[in-house]
Amino acid sequence: MPEKKEYKVIGTRPIRHDGVDKVTGRALYGADFHTAGLLHGRVLRSPHAHARILSIDTSRAEAYPGVKAIVTAKDLPDAADKVADLGEGAVHLKYLCDNILASDKALYKGHAIAAVAATNAHIAEEACALIDVAYEVLPPVLEVRQAMEPAAPLLHETLKTGSLGETAEEPSNVASHLQHKKGDIEAGFAEADVIIEREFVTGTVHQGYIEPHNATALYNPDGQLTVWCSTQGAFTVREQLTEILQYPISKIKVVPMEIGGGFGGKINVYVEPVAALLAKKTGKPVKVLMNRADVFEGTGPTPASFIRVKMGATKDGKLTAAQTHLAFEAGAYPGSPVGAGAMCIFAPYDIANVLIDGYDVVVNKPKSAPYRAPGATNAAFGSETVIDELAKELNIDALEFRIMNGAKEGVKRADGPVFPRIGFIESVEAAKQHPHYTSPNGKKHHGRGVASGFWFNIGLASSVSISVNPDGTINLVEGSTDIGGTRASIAMQAAEVLGIPAESVNPSVVDTNSVGYTAVTGGSRTTFATGYAAYEAAQDVKRQLIARAAKLWEVDEEDVQFADGEFSCINGKEAQLSFHDLSARLGETGGPVVGSAAVNPPGAGGAFATHIVDLEVDEDTGKVQILRYTATQDAGKAIHPSYVEGQIQGGVVQGIGWALNEEYIYNAEGTMTNASFLDYRIPTCLDLPMIDTVIVEVPNPGHPYGVRGVGEVPIVPPPAAIANAIYDAIGIRMTELPMSPDRMLKAMGKI
Amino acid sequence: MEKFSYVNATNLEQVTSLLNDSGWGEVMVIAGGTDLLGELKEYVETPKTLVNLKTLPGMDSIAADATGLKIGALTTVADIAMHPTIQRHYTVLAQAAASVATPQIRNVGTLGGNLCQRPRCWYYRDETVDCLKKGGEICYAVEGLNKYHAILGGDPVYIVHPSDIAPALIALGATIKIAGPEGEKTMAVEEFFTLPATNPFRENVLEPNEIVVEVQVPQPKPNTKSLYLKAREKGAPDFALASVAGVFEMSGSTCNTASIVLGGVAPAPWRSKEAEAALTGKMISEAVSKQAGADAVKDAQPLNDNEYKVVLTQNLISRAAMMAAHA
Ligand SMILES: Cc1cc2nc3c(=O)[nH]c(=O)nc-3n(C[C@@H](O)[C@@H](O)[C@H](O)COP(=O)(O)OP(=O)(O)OC[C@H]3O[C@@H](n4cnc5c(N)ncnc54)[C@H](O)[C@@H]3O)c2cc1C
Ligand code: SF4
Repeated sequence: MPEKKEYKVIGTRPIRHDGVDKVTGRALYGADFHTAGLLHGRVLRSPHAHARILSIDTSRAEAYPGVKAIVTAKDLPDAADKVADLGEGAVHLKYLCDNILASDKALYKGHAIAAVAATNAHIAEEACALIDVAYEVLPPVLEVRQAMEPAAPLLHETLKTGSLGETAEEPSNVASHLQHKKGDIEAGFAEADVIIEREFVTGTVHQGYIEPHNATALYNPDGQLTVWCSTQGAFTVREQLTEILQYPISKIKVVPMEIGGGFGGKINVYVEPVAALLAKKTGKPVKVLMNRADVFEGTGPTPASFIRVKMGATKDGKLTAAQTHLAFEAGAYPGSPVGAGAMCIFAPYDIANVLIDGYDVVVNKPKSAPYRAPGATNAAFGSETVIDELAKELNIDALEFRIMNGAKEGVKRADGPVFPRIGFIESVEAAKQHPHYTSPNGKKHHGRGVASGFWFNIGLASSVSISVNPDGTINLVEGSTDIGGTRASIAMQAAEVLGIPAESVNPSVVDTNSVGYTAVTGGSRTTFATGYAAYEAAQDVKRQLIARAAKLWEVDEEDVQFADGEFSCINGKEAQLSFHDLSARLGETGGPVVGSAAVNPPGAGGAFATHIVDLEVDEDTGKVQILRYTATQDAGKAIHPSYVEGQIQGGVVQGIGWALNEEYIYNAEGTMTNASFLDYRIPTCLDLPMIDTVIVEVPNPGHPYGVRGVGEVPIVPPPAAIANAIYDAIGIRMTELPMSPDRMLKAMGKI
Repeated sequence: MEKFSYVNATNLEQVTSLLNDSGWGEVMVIAGGTDLLGELKEYVETPKTLVNLKTLPGMDSIAADATGLKIGALTTVADIAMHPTIQRHYTVLAQAAASVATPQIRNVGTLGGNLCQRPRCWYYRDETVDCLKKGGEICYAVEGLNKYHAILGGDPVYIVHPSDIAPALIALGATIKIAGPEGEKTMAVEEFFTLPATNPFRENVLEPNEIVVEVQVPQPKPNTKSLYLKAREKGAPDFALASVAGVFEMSGSTCNTASIVLGGVAPAPWRSKEAEAALTGKMISEAVSKQAGADAVKDAQPLNDNEYKVVLTQNLISRAAMMAAHA
């Protein structure tokens, strides 16, 4: 395990490399992209949540002046049932294609049906209205429990439940059932003195990134397809395009533009293949932009869920058993994050007897997409509320209860993995000692709540190359979309190795032709895995520079030492060169130095967080106002502490929105009635106090600097922490999200 | 958005003659556009011509003297919110204006546009829904999703009037000046707004060829306390779940006269005569203020999802009265 070391660059707070471009408005986003001959595309979307598409007649639209091409699902290569490994997990190709342009059925309001390319965006929009689609409207299924009923209308006539290796006979909306088992659940509950069982409901929520999806595509006459888009992973876009378009991967170049937020929602493609189809048909570059309603209705939110949690503990506070039933809405096609929810739900605790059942259920809502620790927030809302209730019942301090039962190195999770060194207990200890937790909290209708959360983080492949400039700086080329300051956190890891300041690194995020394969910016992996690649690439540079110094000094490589940015000779000969000075002499020692590395590190190292919230419940209006918020989190090693704090604060804010206000409000026909940022309420600074952060550093043994991913886990505890604080304030357990004023007034019995 | 032609207005006669005979929707006026542009983009309105009022001279300022205020219809919401005299003597108006939307929208949105803005009902804003207000057969809110709809004065249309400024103006006894083909006329702001029982299609008395040009507010008596309370789900931007514009003429903690106008709960700003009666001439105590709240909502007829608004309104009124007397 790496020891606590003194670092020169790591742990400092340099200005981010992309900062100036962004604050001066010079950074180029997808919507800014322009090229000669550009056409504008617009997608026609289904007005129905569930309907059979009987026919699509494009003749009127085709005749409309200015229209250059129209595409429908017929323009997609025949999507024979074929399974492809794309993005985060396996995706069924037919479903993937149908989600881009519906072939036989529209499965949610906003489902893409056809698209038009025209000489300007207005003509494209007008022409969409001239496409005649005949639908046979079917009853929609809009809620997970309803969808699981045997008599529920079916979304997919061929979908049969896959359950623990078996496939059911009859079609169903339940795509799959998974189970994790540990110990003997019955015996565990028999041992318990106190058992709490509760049911929870969470709403459909969106990542709410500010920049809508966009894509521009161009087919050159030589068959080379280029796509400029806003994505968390240019390589995953390339993979999805090659599958959906059935087009050779070597002929596709994806250029990631600057990204205005993603949070998991910009991994799946939506308009990218549509732009490509239109570009192919017209031979011209075609740009397709979404508006906000398109984003809400036509991309992937994170699902609503129904959760039952039952936990038992002994009188002296030992958790003996934990059981859960997790039913998650996948949206129109299978693939909810129920698996991840099942991995995370009881992970912070060392419990001998666990039974987890998860159900992935299709409903007539947009296909769900990842959202910051997908599934874990829903799950923790249930488990962390029950933990709180148990602690109260047993008269044990809620944080002490977590410490007593907290998972440590060597504990086996119900889903299999055994924890390496982790920092859960440390994150709880930090919360327990924090002045926030020790300060008094007694005012009427004020409450304090705590909750913890876990996210496993992922590793996956990353590539980096570094070239040395003659002035002692380096150019670092990477393939990871920078959403949260990773140009800086990756550059800093290379800088640390080479003993140069962070400012001496010029990081560039490049297209898929210009760097080795790199997986998505997701799973909190980028500072960990691409940082790891930068570390290794810098080691490569270092080795090569040592060889150059040895050549200059005519000594053996073993006789050259490199420390603190200085090369020196250790065989008695007086010779010294700084990184800077040696860089200037590459020409005379054999030419340029380029280092590179491609990694696929296994030890992502899970992240744990514990949050404390103080709030006030306005008895008259039902409004919950957050008064104080403190988040502790094990970051392993914070490369750039400001950006770690930023990630924690951002996650907390999204968690607060999810807890208090955010939800898709559907009418009986399956239309989202609040598809705008006016009616879908994400919090602003007026709704939030300063969010205090405490970074705990328990180094991850799987990374040279001890890094753990930090981006996702901070969204996990807030809803539970807030529900627990509401209980503290008014003595009522809230079990449904969001906890908006109307629900609060109802729960308080005022209505 | 459909194509339209755009005319910069130069004088009122030109505006009213452009609007003349066109009926609703063919020719429309635009001021800040913060409300109208959303409607155009979503095809809720599809005018052939837009007349830009912002180019009319002399309609964007506030004149204050000892008798009261004259506020031009093109004055921005921000100018009203930040005007020192309004903040001091017409507090309810400044607070109501400051509660509107966001700084960007307040900097662009105008007084006239605020009073004439259209409903926020989600069925109304959905181009595919042809509800009663848009000339269709039924009000979808009655059987549908009605969390944000009216608890008072609905029937047959259950929108809530979205303006925050209107209740404040009515509570202050303001008048409104309207220009039409026959010249100008002035009426109480209270009479400007109409209930759906009178006209389900519009929210005020304006004819298609009339526009709002000015609002006049009499100076409140010296011992007046006024305030605006607005309950919303989030800090901003958010329309009122319920709001109370209260103007109280006080002697100590005794209320000589009270003017209570509610926002967010009815298709028009809703003067609560019941609450006013419960407060007038009384020492404001907890019990008196509670009674005022209860009286105000005694005829409320909530729909399926908006019963919470009844309690909310009741509590806001009593809070407003307590604040006027004791804060
Ligand atoms: C995100 C958001 C949040 C909002 N929040 C609030 C809020 O909290 N409270 C609130 O009160 N409002 C709110 N609004 C509404 C906001 O649009 C108004 O407050 C604003 O004042 C409208 O003024 P405008 O000049 O932009 O109107 P415009 O959009 O130009 O016009 C609105 C309507 O009035 C008509 N009109 C304009 N001027 C005149 C005139 N002089 N005579 C006759 N008709 C006229 C137009 O034809 C149009 O139908 C919000 C709007 C948005 C987009
Ligand atoms: S409340 Fe009014 S605008 Fe809304 S559906 Fe009913 S009639 Fe239409």
